[in-house]
Amino acid sequence: MSADERPEHRHRRELPAEVPAKPEAPAPPASGGQRLTGRQRLAKGLWPPRVTRPQLIVALLLFVLGLGLAIQVRSNNDSSALRGARQEDLVRILDELDDRTQRLEEEKRSLEEQRTGLENSSDQAEEARKQTVERERQLGILAGTVAAQGPGITLAIVDKKGAIEADMLLDAIQELRAAGAEAIQINDVRVVAGTHLSDAGGGGVRVDGRKVGEPYLFKVIGKPQDLEPALNIPGGVVQTLEKEQATVTVTRSEKIVVNALRPAKRPDYARSSSQ
Amino acid sequence: MIAVLGLVVGVVAGLLVRPEVPAVVEPYLPIAVVAALDAVFGGLRAMLDGIFDDKVFVVSFLSNVVVAALIVFLGDKLGVGAQLSTGVVVVLGIRIFSNAAAIRRHIFRA
Repeated sequence: MSADERPEHRHRRELPAEVPAKPEAPAPPASGGQRLTGRQRLAKGLWPPRVTRPQLIVALLLFVLGLGLAIQVRSNNDSSALRGARQEDLVRILDELDDRTQRLEEEKRSLEEQRTGLENSSDQAEEARKQTVERERQLGILAGTVAAQGPGITLAIVDKKGAIEADMLLDAIQELRAAGAEAIQINDVRVVAGTHLSDAGGGGVRVDGRKVGEPYLFKVIGKPQDLEPALNIPGGVVQTLEKEQATVTVTRSEKIVVNALRPAKRPDYARSSSQ
Repeated sequence: MIAVLGLVVGVVAGLLVRPEVPAVVEPYLPIAVVAALDAVFGGLRAMLDGIFDDKVFVVSFLSNVVVAALIVFLGDKLGVGAQLSTGVVVVLGIRIFSNAAAIRRHIFRA
C-alpha cells in the first residue's frame, strides 16, 4: 500500500464494498492523522454553535425548507385532499364525481321505476281482489248462496184445482232463464242451475225436495221488459197455465228481493286450482 | 447547530403562522420541498465527506428547487404533469436514498 497507489486503491475498494466494513477499516487509520472522520466533523459542526457565514446561509435555507415542509404537511392534513391538487387532477376528480353522480342518478331512476311498478302491481293486486270479490258475489247469486235484489217481475200462479205439475213449472223456469232471469225464487225455495222439480203426492210440487204448495209465487230478477213478454207470448207459459184453469198474474217491479238461500255445499274433494 | 435550529424554527413557524401560499406556487411546493430535501442530504453528505462548501450548497439548493418546479410546470403545460412530477419525485428519492446511504456509512461505519 504505497502512497501514490492509495487513492486508486481506495476508490476501487470503496465502490463495490458497500456492505462489508472490513475493507474500509484500513482507510481511516491511514488518513486519521490529518483528516477527521465524518462523525467527528458532524460533532464539530453541531457543537459548539458558531455563527459563521456558511452556518447562517444553511440555516436560512433550512428555515425555508422547514417552512415549506410544514406548510405542505399542513395543507395536506387540513381542509381536504383537494387543496394543493393540480388542475388536471381536479378535473379528473370532477369527472369521476360526475360519473358517479350519473351512475347514482341512473340507479335512483331504476329504483323509482321499480317502486312505481310495485305500487302499480299492488294496485293491480287490489283491483284483482276487488274483481274477485265482485265475481264471487255474482257467482254467489247464480249459485243461490247470497240474496239478490234488483228489477224484475213476480209471477203468481193461483191453482185452486191442483192441476199444476212439475213440468209446467219447469217450463216456466226455462222460459224465464231463456229471457235472461238472473235469480229465481219459488215461494221460499231458490232456483239454481241444479234445481230439480218433481210432483209431490196430493197436489203441489217438490222443488229441490222441498214441498212447494199453491199459490206459486215466482220472484224473478232480470230485465222486466224481457221477462214479461217471454211469459206472455202466444202459446207461452201464461197461456199454457191458463189452459189448466190456473190464474196467472205477472207483475213488473223495480225492486224484487230474492232472499231465499241455498247452503253453499263445500266440495269434499274438488279444490279450486291455482288458476 | 445554527443550521439545525434554522430547520426547527422553520417547521415551527410554518405550523404556527400558517402562511397563505399563493395559488400559483401551491402545486410546485411539494416538489420543491422534495428537491430541497435532496439538496440538504447532499449537503450533509458533503459535510461528512469534508468537502462542504456553502456556495455550492446554496446554488444546488436553489437550482434543485427551481429545476424541479420548472419540470413540473413544463409537465403541466404539456399535459403530463402528473407523470413528470412522479418521475421527479422518483429521481430525487433515489438521490436522497444514495446520499442517506453515504451518510449512514459515515456515521455508523456500516
